[in-house]
Amino acid sequence: MKKAITVALCAVLAAACASKAPGPSTSADGGEKKKFVVGYSQSNNAEPYRAQLNLQLQHYMKKYPDIELLPIADAKQSSATQVSQVQNFITQKVDALIVSPTEPAPLTAAVEQACQAKIPVIILDRTVNTDCYSAFIGGDNVLIGEKAGEEAVKLLPDGGNIVELRGIMSNQPQIDRDKGFREAIAANPKIKIIADREGKWLKEQATPIMQQWLAQHEKIDLVYGHNDPMALGAYLAAQAAGKAGQIKFIGIDGLAIPDGGIRAVQLGQLSATFIYPTGAEEAAATVNKILHGEKVEKKQVLGTTQVTKDNAAELYKKYDLSGQG
Amino acid sequence: MTVLTMRAIGKSFPGVRALDGVSLTVAEGEVVALLGENGAGKSTLMNILAGVFKHYEGEIEIGGRVAHIHSPKDARRHGIAMIHQELNLVPELSIADNIFLGRERAILDRKAMEARTAELLRGLGLDLSPRRLIKQCKIAERQLIEVAKALSQNVRVLVMDEPTSALADAEVRRLYTVIRDLTGHGVAVIYISHRLEELEEIADRVVVLRDGAYIGERSEVDRDELIQMMAGRPLGELFPRADGGGSGEELLKVEGLSVPGEPGSGRTPLREISLSVRAGEIVGVAGLMGAGRSELLESIFGLHRPTAGSMSLGGRPYRPRRPKGAIRRGVALVAEDRKAQSLVLGNTIAFNASLPSLGRFLRFGTVDARREHRAVERQVNELRVKTPGTRFTVGNLSGGNQQKVVLAKWLLTSPSLILMDEPTRGIDVGAKAEIHALMSSLAAGGKGVLVASSELPELLAMCDRILVLCEGRITAEFSREQRPTQEAILEAAMARQKVTTL
Amino acid sequence: MTATTEPPPPAKAPGESRLRRTFSALGAAQAYIGLVLILAVGIATKGEVFLNETNLTNAVGAFASRGILAVGVTLVILTGGIDLSVGSLLGIASMTAAMMLSKYSLEPWQIVPICMVVGGLFGFLNGAGTAWLRIQSFVMTLAMLSVVRGLDRQVSDNVSVGTQIAGPDGKLTPQAEAFQLFGTPGHNLFDRIYYPVLAFVVVCVVFHLILTKTRFGRHVYAVGGNPTAARLSGVNVTAITIAVFTLSGMLAGFAGPIDAAYSASADPQAGQSYELDAIAAAVIGGASLAGGKGTIAGTFVGALILTLLDNVLGLNAVSDNWQLVIKGLIVVVAVVLQRPDLFKFFRGGSRS
Repeated sequence: MKKAITVALCAVLAAACASKAPGPSTSADGGEKKKFVVGYSQSNNAEPYRAQLNLQLQHYMKKYPDIELLPIADAKQSSATQVSQVQNFITQKVDALIVSPTEPAPLTAAVEQACQAKIPVIILDRTVNTDCYSAFIGGDNVLIGEKAGEEAVKLLPDGGNIVELRGIMSNQPQIDRDKGFREAIAANPKIKIIADREGKWLKEQATPIMQQWLAQHEKIDLVYGHNDPMALGAYLAAQAAGKAGQIKFIGIDGLAIPDGGIRAVQLGQLSATFIYPTGAEEAAATVNKILHGEKVEKKQVLGTTQVTKDNAAELYKKYDLSGQG
Repeated sequence: MTVLTMRAIGKSFPGVRALDGVSLTVAEGEVVALLGENGAGKSTLMNILAGVFKHYEGEIEIGGRVAHIHSPKDARRHGIAMIHQELNLVPELSIADNIFLGRERAILDRKAMEARTAELLRGLGLDLSPRRLIKQCKIAERQLIEVAKALSQNVRVLVMDEPTSALADAEVRRLYTVIRDLTGHGVAVIYISHRLEELEEIADRVVVLRDGAYIGERSEVDRDELIQMMAGRPLGELFPRADGGGSGEELLKVEGLSVPGEPGSGRTPLREISLSVRAGEIVGVAGLMGAGRSELLESIFGLHRPTAGSMSLGGRPYRPRRPKGAIRRGVALVAEDRKAQSLVLGNTIAFNASLPSLGRFLRFGTVDARREHRAVERQVNELRVKTPGTRFTVGNLSGGNQQKVVLAKWLLTSPSLILMDEPTRGIDVGAKAEIHALMSSLAAGGKGVLVASSELPELLAMCDRILVLCEGRITAEFSREQRPTQEAILEAAMARQKVTTL
Repeated sequence: MTATTEPPPPAKAPGESRLRRTFSALGAAQAYIGLVLILAVGIATKGEVFLNETNLTNAVGAFASRGILAVGVTLVILTGGIDLSVGSLLGIASMTAAMMLSKYSLEPWQIVPICMVVGGLFGFLNGAGTAWLRIQSFVMTLAMLSVVRGLDRQVSDNVSVGTQIAGPDGKLTPQAEAFQLFGTPGHNLFDRIYYPVLAFVVVCVVFHLILTKTRFGRHVYAVGGNPTAARLSGVNVTAITIAVFTLSGMLAGFAGPIDAAYSASADPQAGQSYELDAIAAAVIGGASLAGGKGTIAGTFVGALILTLLDNVLGLNAVSDNWQLVIKGLIVVVAVVLQRPDLFKFFRGGSRS
C-alpha cells in the first residue's frame, strides 16, 4: 500500500514538473550564448486578472529569445509565502526579478534584499515601501475610478441612484477605485450613492447583495462594481427581478476571456468596463532593456482603455491569448 | 481517634435523590468498607468527600474541625485522596509526570520528581522506572500507581472505589499489603467493593447504604446478613445453578488455535488452544491478568486473525473474519468493558439493544421501529431492566442495568453460543444473581456458554467445566465432577513455563 | 428475587409523550428558538421587505449549495469525523459542470450524475484514507481540500468558465438555457419553484429518512457513538466510514451545478471556505463534533439560521465586519444552549 502511494506521488510530481519547468539556466542552444534567467512571483494565480497577466507575461517574454522566464511562483495570497519565494529567487541568483506584491509592507524587506544582492527588481501592479527597485509598472486605480465615474455621469445626465459593490475593504485597489469614482460623480450633485457593500471581488457574493438592494430600493439607476464579476453578479440579480433593462452596469478589469468583462459589454450586460492593464508587455520590454544595460523609466504608470460596444470586439481580439499560451 | 466525620449528607440530581441524610465516621488507621448495590449512593458520597460536587447538604469534619470541601483542591488540602473506579491517568505521560500532575513547579524539577516517584513505587513493591509511560503499564500496575499518586500528597483519608475490579487474585494480595501498611501509619481507608469475600479480609467495619440512605453497619462480616441489608430482602443463594447440564452435542470445537499478540497494546498471544463447548454447557475460562482470557473469546468472535489451528461450529467449519461473520453464525460476545466495548452510552436502550439484530426488523429496506421497540421491550422486561422505557438513554442507567441491556442486545440475535467476558464485573449483588440465573437458563435452553471471569467462586459455582489459561496456553481443565478447589485453579493459572521465566 | 418485592416498572413511561419524541427527532429545541428570534428581528426591522416569498427564496437560494454541503458534513460528523474538503469538492464539481456544458454541450441531466461521480470519487478517497490508512479525517480532508483546489485551478487555467453559452445565432444554446434552471436567479422550474431551494429541501428530507429509518442510519450513529461497540455488534465500521465520506463528496458534487448556475459561471475559487459555513450549520443544529449526536433536521434549521441571519443583517446594512462577529457569536451561543447541564430547564427534567 505504502509503496503504491509513493509511486503514485512520484508520478504526480513528475507530471507536474514536466508540464512546466525547464531546468533553470541550462540553455538549450549549445550553451554558447548566455541566457538571462528571470523569476516572477505572482501574488495569487487564482484571480482571473492575474491568470491573464501570467499568460501575457509568458507570451511577451518569448519575444526575447535570450531571456528565460522561470516557472511563475504563486504566493497564493500569502505575504509570507511570497517573501520566501523572493528569497528563493535571490538564492538562485536570477538575473532579474519581477514581483507583484500581495501587500506593500511585508514585501518591502524582501525587495530590499534582492536590491542588495544587485538583482534588478521590477515591481508590477502593486507598490512596495522602498525606492530600492529598478522599475515600477502599474495601472492607476484612482484614474480608473475617475473614468468610471465620468462614464456614470454621462449615463445619468439627469442624476440618479447608484449602488456600489466594493472589493475587499483592505485592498488598495478597492480604496482607489472608490476614491476616484466618488470624486468624478461629484460633478453632478443629483447623482447619489445610496448603498455600498463589500462584495469581496466575488460574483457569488454580489448576487445576494443586489437582491437585497432590489428588495429595498425602489429606484436603482446604476451599479458600479469594483470588478466585472461583481457587476455581472448584480446583473444576474437584476435580470431575475426583471429590472436589468432599467439599470446600467459598470465594471472594471475588462479581461479578454469568454467569461470576462469585454464579452459582457459585447452582450450588452455591462454598459462599460475599463481595462485594468496587466503591464505584462511593458514588464517584458523593461526586463529586456535592463538586462541589456539600457536605461528605463523608474515609474511607468499605465493608462486605461474604456471598453464600449463599439471597440469591444477589436479589444477582445487584441488581448485574447488563448491558444497562444 | 476520629479523623473524618460526614454528617447528614444529602445530594439531589435532577429527578433523583441520590443521597439522603447519610452520616459516616472513620477513625485513624481504620479500614471502612462501603457496601451497597449500584445506585445506592456510595460513589456519590465519596465524590462529595473528594470535592467533585460543588453543592451538597450536610457537613464534613476533618480532625475535629469543619472542613469546607467544594472542589478537588479543597479535598486535597484536607488530605483526602480518591482512587476512582475508572483510573485517571494520562496514558501518554510518564509515571512521574502523572503522579505530580497539577502540582508541578512552574519549571519542572524532573530529577526531584523522579526520585520521589521511585521512592513511592518502591514502597508499593513496584519495580518500574518513573519515566515509563502509563500506556506501557499493565492495568494492575496502573492501579498501584494511582495509590502512589494518592500517597504522594500526605494523605489522611484514602478512598478506593472498587480498586480490585481489574485485578487478579495475586495482585489483590499485594494491594492488601499496601493497605495494611498505610493503616499502620494512621491513614484511614474507605474501601468500596462488591466482592464480599474481600471485605472479610480487609475491612474493620462495613457500612451499608441502600437507595441513598444509611442502612447500618457491622464489624463482623456475615455474608448473608450483609446481602440482605444491601438488597433489603433475604437472598436465597448467590449462585443459583443447581446441577450441571452439558450432555448436548458438541457446538464449538477449537483445535490448535494460535493467535499472535500485539506488543504495543499488550495483547497476549494465544498458543495452540484446543477446547470444545457442548450445547447446554457452561464452560469457564480462568486465569490471571494477561493470561489471554479476553483474547481467547475475542478470537472466537472473529476479532483477531489466527495463524494456525481451526474452529468448527455446529459441525461446520467456522472461520470468522470479523464480528459480523461470527454474529451471522449465531455467536455473541458480551465484552469485558461494557462502557468502552458494548454500549453507545449517549443513545437509547432500543438503539443499543437492536444494533446487531437490526436485520430482523427491516421492512422495505427501512427499520420497522414499532416491531423493533416491541421486541426490545419484551427482552428488556424479561431481563427486568429497571428503566422508564426503551427510549431511555443507556448512559443514565446503573451498571447492572447497563449490563442487562448488553445481554438483551445479544439475546435478540438468538445466538447459539454466547461468549461472556467478566459478565458480572462491577455490578451489584442482586443483578449479579439475576445474570447467573440467566446463564443457567440459557444453558438449560440448549445454548453453549463460554464465560471468562476473574472471580473463581463464580466460575466454580456456575461452570460444568473450567479451563485454566496461563500466558496464552491452556494449563489445566477441570470438570465439575472433579470438584476443583480455588487453590488448584490458581496453581494452574500460575503454571508458567520454565523457559519463559528463566 | 427482585420480582417479589419490586415489580419492574412498565417499559414505557407515561411521561414520554409522542410529542417529545417527534421533537427530539427534529433536532435541538434551542435551534428553533434561534430561528424564531431571527425571524422576529427580520420582521420587526424590515417587515414586508423581509417577509415575502421573493426575499426568502433569494436568501435560502443563495445558501442552498452550502446547505447541501452541510448535510454531507453532518453525516461525517455523526461518525465522529470531519470533512474540510467539501468546499473544494463543490468547486471542482461546479467547474466540471461548467466545462461539460461549454465544451461538450451535455444536457443538464447528464451533468448532475457526472458531477456526483467526480465528488463521490474524491469523497471515497477521503474515506479510504481515513478508514484504511487510519489518517485522522481532519488531516486527510485538509489535504484533500488543498489537492482538489489545486486540480480545480489547474483544469480551469485559473479562469472562470461561463455557463451562459451562446450559439451561432446569438441565443443561448438549449443546454445552456436548461442549465439555468439549476439556479441562475430568475429561472424557476415550472415558473414557480426555485431549484436550489427545492434541491436543498429534498436532500434534507431524503437524508433525514435515511438516518432515522434505515439500518445504515443506525450504523452511522453507532460508529460515531462508540466505534468499538459498533464493531463488536457486527457493524462494518470501515465501510460506514468510507460510505459517509463518499456520500458527503457526492452531495458536494450534486451542489456543484447549483453553484455554477447561481453565478452563471464556475469560478476556480468557488466554494472556498464553504466548509466552515457547512460545519457551522451542523453545529448550530446540534451536531456534536465528538460524533454520535446530531440530526439532519437540526442541520436544516442551522442552515436556515445562517442564511436568514445573512439576509437580515444585509437588509439592515450591518457592515461585513460586524456580520462576522455576530455569526461567530451565534455559533458559540448555539453550542452553549445545547449543553443540558448548563440549561437543564429546557429539558424539563427528562433525565430523571
